[in-house]
Amino acid sequence: MIPITINGKQYDVPEGKTLLRVAQDLGITIPSLCDHPDLTPHGGCRLCDVEVKGLRNPIAACTLPVSANMEIMTETEDLQDARKTILELMLVNYHGPLSIENGKTNYFLKWCQQYNVDVQNKMRKEPKYKVDSDPNPFIRVDLNQCILCTRCIRACAEIQGRFVWGMANRGIENQIIAGSGVPLLQARCESCGACVDYCPTGALGHKPSFGAGSSEKKVQTTCSFCGVGCNFDLNVKNDQVIKITPNPNAPVNGKHLCVKGRYGYKFINHPDRLKQPMVREYLLQDGQKNSQEIGPWVEVDWDTALTIVAKKLIQIKHESDPDSIGLLTSAKCTNEENYLMNKLSRQVIGTHNIDHCARLCHSSTVSGLAMSFGSGAMSNTVQDIVDHAESIFIIGSNTTEQHPVIGSKIRQAIIRRKVKLIVADPRKIDIAEFSSIYLRHKAGTDVALINGLMHIILENNWQDQQYIDERCENFEEFKATLAGYSPEIVSSITGISVNDLIKTAEMMAAHKPMAVFWAMGITQHSTGVLNVLTLANLQMLLGNMGVPGGGVNPLRGQNNVQGACDMGGLPNVFPGYQTVTSQDFIDKFNLAWQTKSSSGKHDNELSIKPGLTSTEMIPMALDGKIRALYIMGENPLVTDPDVNHTRKCLQACDFIVLQEIFPSDTSAFADVLLPGVSFAEKDGTFTNTERRVQLVRQAITPKGSAKPDWEILSNLANKILNEEQREITGEFAGWDYKNASEIMEEIGALTPSYAGINYDRLNHGESLHWPVKDSQHPGTPILHIGSFTRGKGKFHPTEHIDPKEMPDEEFPLLLTTGRVLYHWHAGEMTRRSSDLLEVYPGAYIEVHPEDAIKYGIRQNQQITLNSRRGTTRGKALITDRVSPGLVFANFHFPGEQNTNNLTIAALDPVAKIPEYKVCAVKLVIE
Amino acid sequence: MEDQSSKQTYGLSTPSMHLLLNEFPLNQVESREIIDKILLSFKDVPGGLMVILNEIQSQIGYISQPIQEYISAILNIPVSTITGVVSFYSFFTTKPRGDHTIKFCMGTACYVGGTPQLMRKAEQILDIQTGDTTPDNHITMEVCRCVGSCSQAPVVVVDEQLYGRVRPSKIPPLIREIMKTYEDS
Repeated sequence: MIPITINGKQYDVPEGKTLLRVAQDLGITIPSLCDHPDLTPHGGCRLCDVEVKGLRNPIAACTLPVSANMEIMTETEDLQDARKTILELMLVNYHGPLSIENGKTNYFLKWCQQYNVDVQNKMRKEPKYKVDSDPNPFIRVDLNQCILCTRCIRACAEIQGRFVWGMANRGIENQIIAGSGVPLLQARCESCGACVDYCPTGALGHKPSFGAGSSEKKVQTTCSFCGVGCNFDLNVKNDQVIKITPNPNAPVNGKHLCVKGRYGYKFINHPDRLKQPMVREYLLQDGQKNSQEIGPWVEVDWDTALTIVAKKLIQIKHESDPDSIGLLTSAKCTNEENYLMNKLSRQVIGTHNIDHCARLCHSSTVSGLAMSFGSGAMSNTVQDIVDHAESIFIIGSNTTEQHPVIGSKIRQAIIRRKVKLIVADPRKIDIAEFSSIYLRHKAGTDVALINGLMHIILENNWQDQQYIDERCENFEEFKATLAGYSPEIVSSITGISVNDLIKTAEMMAAHKPMAVFWAMGITQHSTGVLNVLTLANLQMLLGNMGVPGGGVNPLRGQNNVQGACDMGGLPNVFPGYQTVTSQDFIDKFNLAWQTKSSSGKHDNELSIKPGLTSTEMIPMALDGKIRALYIMGENPLVTDPDVNHTRKCLQACDFIVLQEIFPSDTSAFADVLLPGVSFAEKDGTFTNTERRVQLVRQAITPKGSAKPDWEILSNLANKILNEEQREITGEFAGWDYKNASEIMEEIGALTPSYAGINYDRLNHGESLHWPVKDSQHPGTPILHIGSFTRGKGKFHPTEHIDPKEMPDEEFPLLLTTGRVLYHWHAGEMTRRSSDLLEVYPGAYIEVHPEDAIKYGIRQNQQITLNSRRGTTRGKALITDRVSPGLVFANFHFPGEQNTNNLTIAALDPVAKIPEYKVCAVKLVIE
Repeated sequence: MEDQSSKQTYGLSTPSMHLLLNEFPLNQVESREIIDKILLSFKDVPGGLMVILNEIQSQIGYISQPIQEYISAILNIPVSTITGVVSFYSFFTTKPRGDHTIKFCMGTACYVGGTPQLMRKAEQILDIQTGDTTPDNHITMEVCRCVGSCSQAPVVVVDEQLYGRVRPSKIPPLIREIMKTYEDS
């Protein structure tokens, strides 16, 4: 601490800060426009000039480091005059509305008011530039209100890592430009909106909420798109969400957001929203379903709808058995709702046939990591990695598009801390620009690639032998299999040069700790589990597990897919991964849920045999083994592989209940539609990719007669229990929940890893990573410190296996699938957010320029892809992101644009995950 | 390759080098070779961007948007930075210049000394606006910043040659002088 004097008063202040920051901390106001605590100091606006004793001229406080015994005056008459002049000079080119609060605070006008500047008379009389000059749907550009503070330029570079904004021309013609002076989207803008947040005037604004006025209340909640778990404020006016603003207290994202989180809220109020329960007409008549023609929808009240569902499920349960019913729970719904689905399935219906979309995304991660370490979740937190990693290895994750806020945090780590980045991906994804080494390996050769790298590491003795000896087992057996992966062999399998392989291994060994990120590029293969095991081997070999800045970090795709798994939304585990094959856990839940009467054999006793996965359940509808499906918030008709087959299976089902917010493609085959609500209309919790449990808070009332999903499930469960005349008593057995918090208490009591989580703690701002062992436990941000969950980390020998379907003469191209920045999952929400759809209106198929020439395709031309299973259409996007022979398509669009018409339902033998990432197709021009 | 009939809305993906290389003048073998040679020579020189821009300006004659995008991709410098530099210095142009350039100094002394009148005269004779090039590609008219010859204001620079104390009546013979080279051939 050093002594300084400000305005005649003595203070002790910390060294190493700028004067402006010190003054701000002391509560002393020094006006400034170009400075922002999150950005590097610029010293451009001169508004923060102060007088320092001993210096002849005033000096900018934002770039001046404090030193001992400085004497500073911040508001002398001279300074006030100077500031007034500076503001008046800025007004020469300024033209805009005069109100300070115009959707967002205009700090320039605020200082003008403070220093008595006559804005109306001093500003330019007519606009110099076109107002709202950029055509993109998100960011409103009005250069007439720009004061050239460069905060947008720094925000784009330092926060988002995109470098879109720049400064052009000089003198009076000085202006900000996007790229080489082109529209924002053409300049590669990712529409994150950071520049708008940091703009101190009205030069940059949020277009979707422009003119919406100010909100009546702000409600902090958790985003319902990807698994990053950003928090923000829903701004509510007249019971509608009018905009989303960042909340500086958000633990994961701080003030940063992505385009979907910030602008993708219009779906909440979309006219398509389901507002009334509906049943097929036949259910109100004789109950005879015509398998050819399902019949029209009839709107009914809740009681009628739930009675029909209850009776039908009971009928099927008694005619066949409980295992002829399957339930798909939802990674989009809250933990509480997923817990209730699991309870409905196991306690009320009596089957373990419950699963959800984690089967299609990270089931191989969960299985693989459980085998290696005993726990299948992300081991470190994003902030920990950004702060402590020396290198980052991204394989099979298009991080900047799929988890945009994590992507920008990784870019920040590279820009600020010079962290080394290695990217391995068959597509040259955007983050590859930031990599020290980019490996374009062939799709489906991940095991060979990693084994090859480990071969080189061992050959050079770069492994952490002490770590391996102390904490791991099965090393020798694993080591033996690597012999077959010499650099030359691996090079021929993967297409990566020997030199690059050696360079990569060297970098991994030299820059520890290294964090590995992966997503669907690793998991969605018929060798998904092998891929995961191999990455786990790599991290053990280098001693990167259980340390800050290291770890295995599978990025979960959906807002609550981690939670849905945690809550027992899987056929083989109760909540908290308590396996159904263990008699202890069966006894525990028989008792808790009162599924076993004290008088011996009981009808509803829990089975010790795991249920069916979703990829098994749906095909089994064809042979009648599954007769009814209860689907909450999922859309298998878009997301399942080989959807033509899925369609036939759903058609064959006797009875399908769909609990949804929109009439999705799947609803065409449903018999009953129950309207649930969006994340803005209910309370609950989501668990993000880092195992962090966060609150979702109700901001508006449900649309129409729609109800929060947990209420629907409780009502249905009570209905079924009543109809069956089952008397259920016991603390955790009943279904009379008054609110979501009560459900969380029950979860905590039955789930050791959630034991210490309750709404009180979360409401007090605690951010808890499970396992949280009791109400005093602080949570576990980093897993596997000291020892692994299973004790010793186990090396698993793995071998390269070719994907199930490879290109051949008839189907010469390799198709890989994935997602894009502007859409999310099956697109039910993003396709109903008009602004997102405007930027990305339909399916694009990425084709390499060489293939484009070969097939004679022009940019944007309609093309068709055919596989052995179906057809999809889209516009050609000619780009060298993909390599020759590889085409890429996304699965956000339904019907004839759906990529999953093509994909193959080849399953991983352990995790039953389908091979979305590789199949063979041919390209046809229309 | 670009289908102009339908708008390309997806602006996110990394600019495709292949498409960039189809744009003029990058699609001319000769120009590409010159640009590549310059980039290769100064790529790793600290502060090499200014040298590269200078060389391209003098050898190609201009630094158009595709060239800027290309430099950006090779040097891994944001294109907004490159455009910033190109637009800051009046020496750089984004359009091809004519065979000869007449620059009118807009420094304070020259401006007061009558540069605007000189420009008007030249615009009249050549029938173009300042900043443009004659349709026969012979002469480009430009303004420039102070050239440091204030004592001789107003100053006009034809190619590399400086003319001082120019009066409007001197403009027609000056232009005739330039045009003479074409009559001879």
